[in-house]
Amino acid sequence: MKKIHWIILGILFVITLVLEFTVLAGYDSHWWNAIPAFYAIFGFVMCYALVYSAKFIAKKIVNRDINYYD
Amino acid sequence: MIEILAIPGVILLIGAALLSFFSEKLRPALFLIFPLLAAAVIILRPEGYSVTGSLLHYDLVLMQTDSLSNLFGIVFALGAFVAGVYAFHMKELGQQICALGYAGGALGVVYAGDLLTLIIFWEIMAVASTWLIWAQRTPETDAAGMRYLIYHILGGGLLFAGILWHSVVAGSIAVETIPMEYTPANILMLLGVAINAAVIPLHTWLSDAYPKATLTGTIFMSIFTTKTAVYVLIRMFAGWELLVFFGAAMAIYGIYYAVICKDMREILSYHIISQVGYMVAAIGVGSELAVNGAAAHAYNNILYKSLMFMAVSAVMYSTGTSKMFHLGGLYKKMPWVLGLYVVGGLSISGIPLFAGFVSKGMVIDAAGYGGYETIMLVLLVASVGTWLSVGLKLPYFTWFDKQDYEGELKPVPLNMYIAMGILAFACVFYGIFPNALYTFLPFETDYQPYTVYHLVEITQIALLTFVGFWLLRKKLAPELTTVLDLDWFYRKAAPATRLVFVQKVDTFYGRVEDGIQASARYLSGKFQNPMRWLNPFTDEENEASSYSPAMEVVMSFILLCFLIFAIIYFL
Repeated sequence: MKKIHWIILGILFVITLVLEFTVLAGYDSHWWNAIPAFYAIFGFVMCYALVYSAKFIAKKIVNRDINYYD
Repeated sequence: MIEILAIPGVILLIGAALLSFFSEKLRPALFLIFPLLAAAVIILRPEGYSVTGSLLHYDLVLMQTDSLSNLFGIVFALGAFVAGVYAFHMKELGQQICALGYAGGALGVVYAGDLLTLIIFWEIMAVASTWLIWAQRTPETDAAGMRYLIYHILGGGLLFAGILWHSVVAGSIAVETIPMEYTPANILMLLGVAINAAVIPLHTWLSDAYPKATLTGTIFMSIFTTKTAVYVLIRMFAGWELLVFFGAAMAIYGIYYAVICKDMREILSYHIISQVGYMVAAIGVGSELAVNGAAAHAYNNILYKSLMFMAVSAVMYSTGTSKMFHLGGLYKKMPWVLGLYVVGGLSISGIPLFAGFVSKGMVIDAAGYGGYETIMLVLLVASVGTWLSVGLKLPYFTWFDKQDYEGELKPVPLNMYIAMGILAFACVFYGIFPNALYTFLPFETDYQPYTVYHLVEITQIALLTFVGFWLLRKKLAPELTTVLDLDWFYRKAAPATRLVFVQKVDTFYGRVEDGIQASARYLSGKFQNPMRWLNPFTDEENEASSYSPAMEVVMSFILLCFLIFAIIYFL
């Protein structure tokens, strides 16, 4: 990832935030719409939660040697 | 008669039978003609068209068309055609016949108007698809194919038992919506279909067998079995609330394994379970939007999931491995395959302008507005996992991560690129023009996926998940492992399973047989001469030839009575 890629992603993110606080300011169909930047927080937190919990499950329960069933 | 031969499923079965008469050179081209013929029949037949027949005293509806069966029919025919293009270089007769027969079974199921026709095509699918695993011809795939077949025979048996029971109780064998009542017949049918839909915990046949099938066989498998089951669920079990929770559980379960697994085909196989979970959950919600969403998601899923399997199989064809541990740095050498995979990856992750954005949006909205907000959030977590596992992790560790791939590469045949190109085009087309898909959906809809809310929602999730992935990517680095699943219970525990379910049962039946024979011997010894009972006060042998005339009269009279009773009873 080069710097320019991060800048593009950053600009995209800022656009979504601007839209959220202008066009979608009065939008309320689910309880979580009241939380600012909910979907961004959700994506980031869930990504971390998934990776760490999957890693935990893999290590503690499901991962075995490659020739386990042979 | 001619109508029966022109049923889409039958066309492909005839094709499968005819293939063996043609030379190796002609066969791949001939293979493509039959799905096109089937598609032509589907387009030409008006909605409501039906073909009837009879078997014993059952009236069969061999083919019945409406928008739902046409939706699946078209995409199955298209799928068989594109998979045929992808397998154009493959000359093995057995695989060609079975692949076409398998597609024929699937098409037969979606047009079956009655349950007996349905179960026949259902079983054809199970048997034909097994060969696509066995054709690998290794001890490992032999065993996996057998496990797959046994699982599907069990599923087919449950479904058939349910159908027979249902036909007695309900007096009908029509394929129609069943009211949500947990009667034994309904439960048996639901279990049979759930096995093919890979509903957890009945999913292990899929994750066990799909990664072991042949390179081209996996493409066919990813298209037909689970999606026909989704079709039957929509047809018969729409609105069964239980499915909402099982669907959501599947979506998450599949995602976890897709994140954990390090083999490209395993990742995609587990991811099928997750995607079918969305459909199953939507079917459980049962509203018009939900059923439309399930159908649209099945349709789109066939397009992008087979595209991803094709790209991954192309990498396997070229490198000889599906383990990401041995891959990485392929972006300079296989840029086109990467590009085509990414189209599939963006579609399945529901990124705007790609097909998945529309159908996934429908399913998630249907859950949210159908009173299942928690389920909606669970499905959103699965979306995060989809983007993380098949959208980012798989391509990153296959095409990037290292500077350059150092192993030998076999050139990928042109036909593979053409097949992937067709599907990639379809993914973008249906993403930009969702109305083209709406015309096929079971209910009329003017669903608008491109709203500011949706765009903000998916962009924020995708961006921040990407950031998360980038920061944690080292944690997901490939390694060589076997990942255990519930199939452990029947694979590792095979000796114990054999002891309990085969040897013990065998011993039990052996004992019972011995007992029956011994008692028969005892009774026949005792009753061989009734005179010994009737005249116990003598030591004489009581030979029949020495009976007194009086005794003969009595015996004859008894026999005559039996005869008269028998005549009266039967007349």
